Amino acid sequence: MRRLLCIVCSMAFLLTGCSHSRQIESAAIIENVTVDRQDGGLVYTFYRLTSGDDPWGIAVSAKNFEEACRLASEEYIPNLSLSKLELLLISEDAAETVMTTDLPYISTQPFFSPVAYLTLCDDRTVDAFRKTNRTQRLIEQQLILLKNHNPSVSIDYLSVFNHLAADRAEGFLVPFIYSDKELKIAEYRLHAKKMTENH
Amino acid sequence: MSAETPFSSKRFLLALMLAACSVILLQNHSLSENSSFLFELASMAAGLALCFLCFVPTLLLRKLRNADILQLSARSPAVVKLPVAVFYAGYFVYTALYFLIPYTDMFHAKYYPGVSPCLITVVLLGCCVYAAVKGVNVITRFGIFLFLFAMLTNILMFGGNLTALELTADSLSWQGSTDDFWQNTRYFLTPAFIAAVFACLNAETNNFRLRQPVCALLFTGLKYAAVLFFIRFAVGAYAGRQEYPTFVLSRTAHFDRFAGVESFYLALATMSVFMIVSLLLCCVTKAADREKNLKTVVLFTLILLAMYTVSAYVNSVKEILTNQNVFIIFTGIASLLPLAGLIGGRKSNAPTLVHSM
Repeated sequence: MRRLLCIVCSMAFLLTGCSHSRQIESAAIIENVTVDRQDGGLVYTFYRLTSGDDPWGIAVSAKNFEEACRLASEEYIPNLSLSKLELLLISEDAAETVMTTDLPYISTQPFFSPVAYLTLCDDRTVDAFRKTNRTQRLIEQQLILLKNHNPSVSIDYLSVFNHLAADRAEGFLVPFIYSDKELKIAEYRLHAKKMTENH
Repeated sequence: MSAETPFSSKRFLLALMLAACSVILLQNHSLSENSSFLFELASMAAGLALCFLCFVPTLLLRKLRNADILQLSARSPAVVKLPVAVFYAGYFVYTALYFLIPYTDMFHAKYYPGVSPCLITVVLLGCCVYAAVKGVNVITRFGIFLFLFAMLTNILMFGGNLTALELTADSLSWQGSTDDFWQNTRYFLTPAFIAAVFACLNAETNNFRLRQPVCALLFTGLKYAAVLFFIRFAVGAYAGRQEYPTFVLSRTAHFDRFAGVESFYLALATMSVFMIVSLLLCCVTKAADREKNLKTVVLFTLILLAMYTVSAYVNSVKEILTNQNVFIIFTGIASLLPLAGLIGGRKSNAPTLVHSM
């Protein structure tokens, strides 16, 4: 019994996992993703989790989110992890493609968090996001305030997906962030049917 | 031998039912997508009622012969004893794999894609060997803890999703076809394996009564109904897209700023698989050989591991091992076999166990 205990204790020390540990700065945990259109094509920017104020983003041009994840993990971030994704920020002109193609893909992946925030925005907000990490905190604060003010607005991925699937004629409300010297928030009505037809 | 110590069937049944729930819910949620909530409830009631019928032969055997099927077959000639032992050993090995494979697949897909599923199985089975050698009574004691932990996890899961509930005018509609009904009923028949476990172990318990499986099945039904309700009205259409919808339920649970009880649910599912596989190893040991406990457990664990490894590389083997129809047919035979024992078996001369743990 004593020998067994000694072996177990030694194993516990040897197999702590510290030998393969990585600092948070070098880990590939993605905290936010922005999607916008540049030169007609979609650009997905993956922002890694950092403790500083400067964002650490990697932009990937791709047809859809699935391809963007694959390219990002093959070419830039080998250990890409999306399980801690907090915010998916979609530029207004990329919304249609993301809602009709990317959301159904994300819904089948077990590692995505269904409670991650999802919001539409203008191009200036995407630019502001590239400059500082404080933008994310401001957006999240605005989203919570909007939800408290109007509970019918869908601010997370789960709620947006379910409204899209329900396909109601009157549509549903999602947040829209716009930048006019400072960040502001408004409600934006989406119609699942119209988007599917246009797409 | 430790397996001879009597155990409390009351706590054992409750823990097993909750454990079975977690494991079954963890598996592919194979309910029909076209059926409504009320229709699912009706098919669940039918499934659990059939589960109860599977308990009846064991209850009769206990009442009339005061023995389990393995004891009865042991007193029979070798031509009866051997096929019964082989059948039950094979059945419990199959059932252990039936629960182990989906769990390991989930663990591998969701948490450790870089680690071989066989390695995860080795670690899990290593723990199960220890518990199986200790015997059924020790596992039932673990069941007390599991029962309370399952209650806590479920309260957190349901309580955390209360604010997300969205009920509409058509929420309580009735929709579903006969095919949907059979598909759902088959799914809810899975806990019937517990009746087969009791068919082999009921001589080791001292307080197995009719009301116990009834209460345990009612409790299971209530829990299932709550899970179905929350999956349907809190997670919604998203659940249908996910392979493990109960995990989504545990992820979306939130209390103010504290969000997600996924780790609780994962721990519950792990402990449930651990408990069920250990118990099945105990049953295999009993079916195969009552004297050489450790050696038999190790031998059958190696068989489990070998079969798991084969299933990991040969897809057709995996399909057979996780086939719901095969499992239900086997379970039906295993739980109804005590009827044959009633007709042909001789009355036990063994003293009745009187002391309770």
